[in-house]
Amino acid sequence: MRTLSILAFLAAALIVSAAAGILVGAVAIGPSDVLAALFGSNDVNGTIIRELRLPRVLGAALVGGSLATAGALLQGLLRNPLADPFVTGTSAGATLAAVGAIALGASAPIVPLAAFAGALVAVTIVWRLARLGGSTTVLTVLLAGVVLTSFVGAVVTFILVSSDRLALRLRAVLGWLQGGVSVISWEELAVAAVIVAAGLAFALFLAHRLDAYAFGEETAATLGVDPDRTTTAVLAATALLSGAAVALAGLVGFVGLVVPHALRFAIGATHRRLIPASFFAGAAALVLADLGARVLLSPAELPVGAITGLVGAPFFLALLVRSRRVVV
Amino acid sequence: MRSRVFAFIVVLLLSISACGGAVSVSPSPSITASPFPATLSDFQNRSVTITSRPERLVSIGPSITAFLFALGAGPRVVGVDDFSDEPAEAATRDHVGGIKVNFEKVVALKPDLVFSVKFSDGTIEKLQAASLNVLVVDPQSVSDVARTATLLGRAVGADGEGLARSIQQRVDAVKTKTANVATRPRVYHEIDASDPAKIFTVGPGSYINDLIDIAGGVNIAARAASAYPQLSAEEILRSDPEIIVLSADAYSSKPGDVAARQGWSIIGAVKNNRIFTIDPNLINRPGPRVGEAAEAYAKLVHPELFR
Repeated sequence: MRTLSILAFLAAALIVSAAAGILVGAVAIGPSDVLAALFGSNDVNGTIIRELRLPRVLGAALVGGSLATAGALLQGLLRNPLADPFVTGTSAGATLAAVGAIALGASAPIVPLAAFAGALVAVTIVWRLARLGGSTTVLTVLLAGVVLTSFVGAVVTFILVSSDRLALRLRAVLGWLQGGVSVISWEELAVAAVIVAAGLAFALFLAHRLDAYAFGEETAATLGVDPDRTTTAVLAATALLSGAAVALAGLVGFVGLVVPHALRFAIGATHRRLIPASFFAGAAALVLADLGARVLLSPAELPVGAITGLVGAPFFLALLVRSRRVVV
Repeated sequence: MRSRVFAFIVVLLLSISACGGAVSVSPSPSITASPFPATLSDFQNRSVTITSRPERLVSIGPSITAFLFALGAGPRVVGVDDFSDEPAEAATRDHVGGIKVNFEKVVALKPDLVFSVKFSDGTIEKLQAASLNVLVVDPQSVSDVARTATLLGRAVGADGEGLARSIQQRVDAVKTKTANVATRPRVYHEIDASDPAKIFTVGPGSYINDLIDIAGGVNIAARAASAYPQLSAEEILRSDPEIIVLSADAYSSKPGDVAARQGWSIIGAVKNNRIFTIDPNLINRPGPRVGEAAEAYAKLVHPELFR
């Protein structure tokens, strides 16, 4: 019952944030005009609301929800509160694949699929390294993330600089790198929504297995959970969610880290609750972060990743200090 | 990563033609009776003395290079920046760097006079420290063009006033044509849409804003706070431009891309298929071709005047 009421509260928070996100923009449009615009008024306000603000808010919600859910999955799988798609380099892998696809001229449906593939490769590498690491798992995962992220940064720089020579689509890459959630087409949104829905359904299906996992792989095996198959499935779900998020918004850090972690205090570590709660809370958090990105320095706009970094990075450091496994 | 990309774009954008920003313009330069020695006041209000007719010129700034060749001083130009490609002959001179000046190359060319646009990174001071005579010339608006022609003419001992007059005549001819137009269409000039949320356009104090005005249009960002403001797509949709002008270079969007942007189909210029491109060298550099630039722009804004 308590879980249901928390989920209802988070869903309500998402709706309120989304309403705020649609009401506030670069151009002032009154609430009644916004309502009229949502229900089909045919003037410029209608276009601004339906074609610019609404996809932006929905995109931010999808991205935040996906990243938070992927974070919950990774934290459960690695039994490590410091994991999320950003710090493990999963998002970086997706970014590299997406940039490559865009540079070669791929269109909207291809980019998130490429990002999914990139995320899958990256998260599998991190998982393999973590298993090798033994007692230094946390550090190994974080270092793998740092290495992957800087490697991707280098390759993206290479693509940007060599775009002339290799006849790549520089403007499209720059637009994607710069854009964040600011400009999202309905087509991109539809493709991402399908992928996110698949990832989320997968994650919900895996929730009870992850709960068994919390006691260690051997215990999980005695509870009838096949560790290898579960691992593969969790990695795939993580890659689906991170890939869709990166395809829509590029690199957005720390949502996947902070949201599930904070929720554990409120609703406990049971994944059957944590996963849906993470989706709603992550969605609301990123819609609010994007609103902050638009309002804080108005008329200038911050990338949404700057807001999540401002809030998330100190939180991450605090966790790192508290994590005894790292301090030793 | 994003911030690095952003810096890259800004550097590209503001590289040579617009690196000065808003700096107040001094009154016309002073001059002594005979051509040389001449003491001139440059665009940074520095007093520069040129003792005899300069024979080895280095130009750091594509518009300066274009002026020097227009003044007939081309044969004396021994070095230019990497972006100087007008006239074509200019590109054959030794190159001395682009966004970053290669000081060793400049010194090795043994120039007796160096022309440079404004730099905020100490480039001018370093050139001076190398005992070079430096004249800062940085035209940013249409009205700067005549002053530039006159100043450079005095610096190299050529008829700058004559060049200034002929440029002004051509600009005035366009102004006369557009003076009595019935309507002044709203014009949106796109500089860079790499960040689709905040698109760079032109504001008051920019060369292109002047061109739009002379061409008989109204810049939708004419009341912006800076010379190169950023607009959100919402603001552009709301201002409903009747004409959209893009630069015809590799880095700019193409008319088809602009028309296909989400929500932009409601804009008049998109509905009426009035999205045009213009030669980037004409509009990026306030140079001796300013009259040609004004005419090219006017042909886009008021094609009916040129039939």
